[in-house]
Amino acid sequence: MTFGIDRRLLQNVDWPLLGATVSLVTLSATTLATLNVGRAGGGIALRQIAWFGLGIVALTIVASIDYRRLVRAAPMLYLAGLGVLVTVFALGRTVSGARRWLMVGPLSVQPSELFKLCFVLMVVWLLSTRWAQPVNKTVLVVAAPLAIVPAALIVKQPDLGTALLLFPVLIALLIAAGMRLRILGGLVLAGLAAAPPVWLALKDYQRDRILVFLDPFRDPLGRAYNVIQAKIAIGSGQLLGKGVAGATQSRLSFLPERHTDFIFAVFAETWGFVGCLVLLTCYALLLLRGFDIAASTREPVGRLVALGVTALVATQVLVNVGMVTGLIPVVGIPLPFMSYGGSSMVVSMMALGLLLSVRMRQFQ
Amino acid sequence: MSAVGRLGYLGGRMPGRPDPGRRRIVAMAGLVTTALLVVVCQLWYLQVLEGGRFQEASEKNRIRVRPIAAPRGILFDRNGLPLVDNRPAFTLSLIPRELDRDPVQRDVTLGRLASLLQIPFAELQDAVARVSPDSILPVRVRRGLSIDEVARVEEWKLELPGVIVEVEPQRAYPTSRFAAHLLGYVREASDDQLKQGRYRRGDMVGQTGLERLLDEFLRGKDGGERIEVDAMGRQIRLIQSTEPHPGAQVVTTIDRRVQEAAERAMEGKAGAVVVMDPRNGDVLAMVSTPAFEIDRFTGSIDRNAWLRVMQDPNHPLLNRTIQSQYPPGSVFKMVVTAAGLQEGTLVPSDRVNCTGEFHLGNWTFKDWKKEGHGSVDLMRGIRDSCDIFFYNAGLKVGAPAIAKYATAFGFSTLTGIELGGEKPGLIPQPRFSRRGRPASWHAGETVNMSIGQGAVLVTPMQVARFMSAIANGGVLWKPRLVQRIERPEKGVVWGDAGSVNGHVELSPMVWAFLRQALWAVVNDGGTGAAARIAGLDIAGKTGTAQTIANSKSSKGQDHAWFAAFAPVKDPEVVVVVLVERGGHGGEAAAPIARQIFNTIFLEKVAAVEIRG
Repeated sequence: MTFGIDRRLLQNVDWPLLGATVSLVTLSATTLATLNVGRAGGGIALRQIAWFGLGIVALTIVASIDYRRLVRAAPMLYLAGLGVLVTVFALGRTVSGARRWLMVGPLSVQPSELFKLCFVLMVVWLLSTRWAQPVNKTVLVVAAPLAIVPAALIVKQPDLGTALLLFPVLIALLIAAGMRLRILGGLVLAGLAAAPPVWLALKDYQRDRILVFLDPFRDPLGRAYNVIQAKIAIGSGQLLGKGVAGATQSRLSFLPERHTDFIFAVFAETWGFVGCLVLLTCYALLLLRGFDIAASTREPVGRLVALGVTALVATQVLVNVGMVTGLIPVVGIPLPFMSYGGSSMVVSMMALGLLLSVRMRQFQ
Repeated sequence: MSAVGRLGYLGGRMPGRPDPGRRRIVAMAGLVTTALLVVVCQLWYLQVLEGGRFQEASEKNRIRVRPIAAPRGILFDRNGLPLVDNRPAFTLSLIPRELDRDPVQRDVTLGRLASLLQIPFAELQDAVARVSPDSILPVRVRRGLSIDEVARVEEWKLELPGVIVEVEPQRAYPTSRFAAHLLGYVREASDDQLKQGRYRRGDMVGQTGLERLLDEFLRGKDGGERIEVDAMGRQIRLIQSTEPHPGAQVVTTIDRRVQEAAERAMEGKAGAVVVMDPRNGDVLAMVSTPAFEIDRFTGSIDRNAWLRVMQDPNHPLLNRTIQSQYPPGSVFKMVVTAAGLQEGTLVPSDRVNCTGEFHLGNWTFKDWKKEGHGSVDLMRGIRDSCDIFFYNAGLKVGAPAIAKYATAFGFSTLTGIELGGEKPGLIPQPRFSRRGRPASWHAGETVNMSIGQGAVLVTPMQVARFMSAIANGGVLWKPRLVQRIERPEKGVVWGDAGSVNGHVELSPMVWAFLRQALWAVVNDGGTGAAARIAGLDIAGKTGTAQTIANSKSSKGQDHAWFAAFAPVKDPEVVVVVLVERGGHGGEAAAPIARQIFNTIFLEKVAAVEIRG
């Protein structure tokens, strides 16, 4: 039994990884503290720290379990996760038109966040069965529904961002598991070829929505506003930032969703380009440690777990930052460790827990 | 996890051997690093290169978004007359972002507004509570403000931060209840509709009738302006503007003149009128009375007015042409006649001596005329609508054949008209036991069925389709309401050439007989004489349908039917009239049909004379 942490395992804890995480959470809490969000006013910084505390507990628990046990349990976890998604669909709590939350006592939990980890474990389980060797087209055909079914449920919530997140993670895992790149390339080409007929089959309003998604400025009253305001906030931070007192864009709440998906813009306004460099360095450190753990693990299941988790965090960071800086269309994805939100924080910490679990058992 | 030990690509690596998986992971790490560097470049561009410009923008950031609602598409009648139009109307809106952030101050503003315009304070609070306090999009509170109300708001403008008056196009109707069921009303999207994600809060959405059916086409694409305002809310600069795209224009099959005439003729009565072109199924008029005040539903209707309509015992929201099912009464005798003649169980020379009573076992069935009709053949049976004749005829023809022909004529199936909520009606189908005799079917039921009573139920639209089939020789047209939809820049985006959803095959002799008999009803001293117009050959059938429910109405409890077409030689128009609890079809319904025929044909005749 590898329950409980023995001393040998503790020696292998990845301290740079944890250091980067603590720095990020510190930056998050200080940023949130400057915001006066919601009718209730402040307090979210403290709550974010409380979430972090809960996250540490979750991380410790996950890290202390042998990841192989978790992978073995993956089919159960995955099915349970799907069940919960269906439950959300049926009786979730609706916040501003989206049905993403389940009430657990006084807390509202966002099951799609937790599902991301179940998904990673499930794909790893599939790819590491004897049946899936070598990883070829058949495996792809079996693995694709693993992502498509939950993605459809999550899109219905509607939470397009989280749903789209599943696919890069799947592709990263397939690549690492040795799928021939030609097959994946073919898949991408097939997808592109399928686009025109699908486009023609869509209804006018559906096409409109996709166009607005690709080019928010088509809809001047909707998303474009967020993008413009975020750009003004980031840009006006200039080299050194305006400091807490001067960050008018954020303080005067011109910026929507400034404590969640758009928190990077607030940070950028307050601390400027230099601050952003520090923040992005923390993320780079965290992600590169993750890739390093994956690359240096010779045990195949551990390697895939580490890579899947790293790919998950990396995609979220890149999509969120890319969206806030106006590089890609707006998709609602929180910035791990920075955005306010309990589910996101705890799940991100659990992801780190998996990474540590692999790292600690690397040399067993 | 024994399976995991020996995995092709994943496992089996020896220390020192090249590790392809590792290479791929390093490549992915490189990709992520590159992406992060791209972000850094973008930040350099935004913050260092363009930073000054954004700095300036952030300092005077007071941007207001002014949505410009797209005018809804217009519905035209077949001659290009509008059935509904748009006119500008004033809308009171709140901009959450610009309301005071302090709840006490905000409530002061809302309270002031409430007393100024006599709006319940709670309604304003609800409107604000529904959306995020950061929203810059106006929340529509009340539509259709009067000029006086607008003046009051403008006068107090400085004391009402976050309150604006917008100008939006609103539906305007020829008259308050004009074609209410056909057109349907337009209202702000309900919470349920918002949940579907197709609409934004405050969007006007067609809720019933054609407005709902064609909402996707009729709703345009809203435009908007992004303007910079000063502290007083005055515009300083237009930053960006997107033109609204008006909705598509719909050309319907309705003839506004006929629709109006039919509505006039039905005034004060409960019932339905369908006017149809038997040559193609075009619906020229569709009237259901009592109607609701369609224009009041569009604006802000207050709770009491709404409840009054919802709880009205006359059900004004019900579209009686397709959503109400009635016994067809004697109109159904034409089905029995068609079935009998075609199957050979009935011949025109069959005679019955009508004494006013008909006995079947212990039961006695009466004729509507107490003293009876005397000796009656088939033609007279139809002309005078003799019940006794058809009791006998029904038993001869048999319930299965009647049901078969009724179904062939489209009863008990939906007409396929595209308005929602259509009812199929009911034709009782006798089931057969093994010996070929109807099981649990009493002969009395056949007797009742032969005069369109008992369990038989039809909708006025089905009767119109049935009459059209008699007029055109057996073609069941799907009732058509919309000819085409046009967009200003794209031309016709949708068209309906009409479609047939059934054929009835009868011998030409039978068709000729049916038309001849129907002509006699109106023109040879039959029950439909009240519809007669000199110089126009109208053929029709009256019906008086007894209802099960007891009514205290002074006129009794019979529904009056009249279904007719004209001219007999080359039928162009079918008119079906139903008057609920109107009494005899010939007295209550036929004169209404006459008025409608008058409008259609006499005015047309007049027009020809002028040209000639």
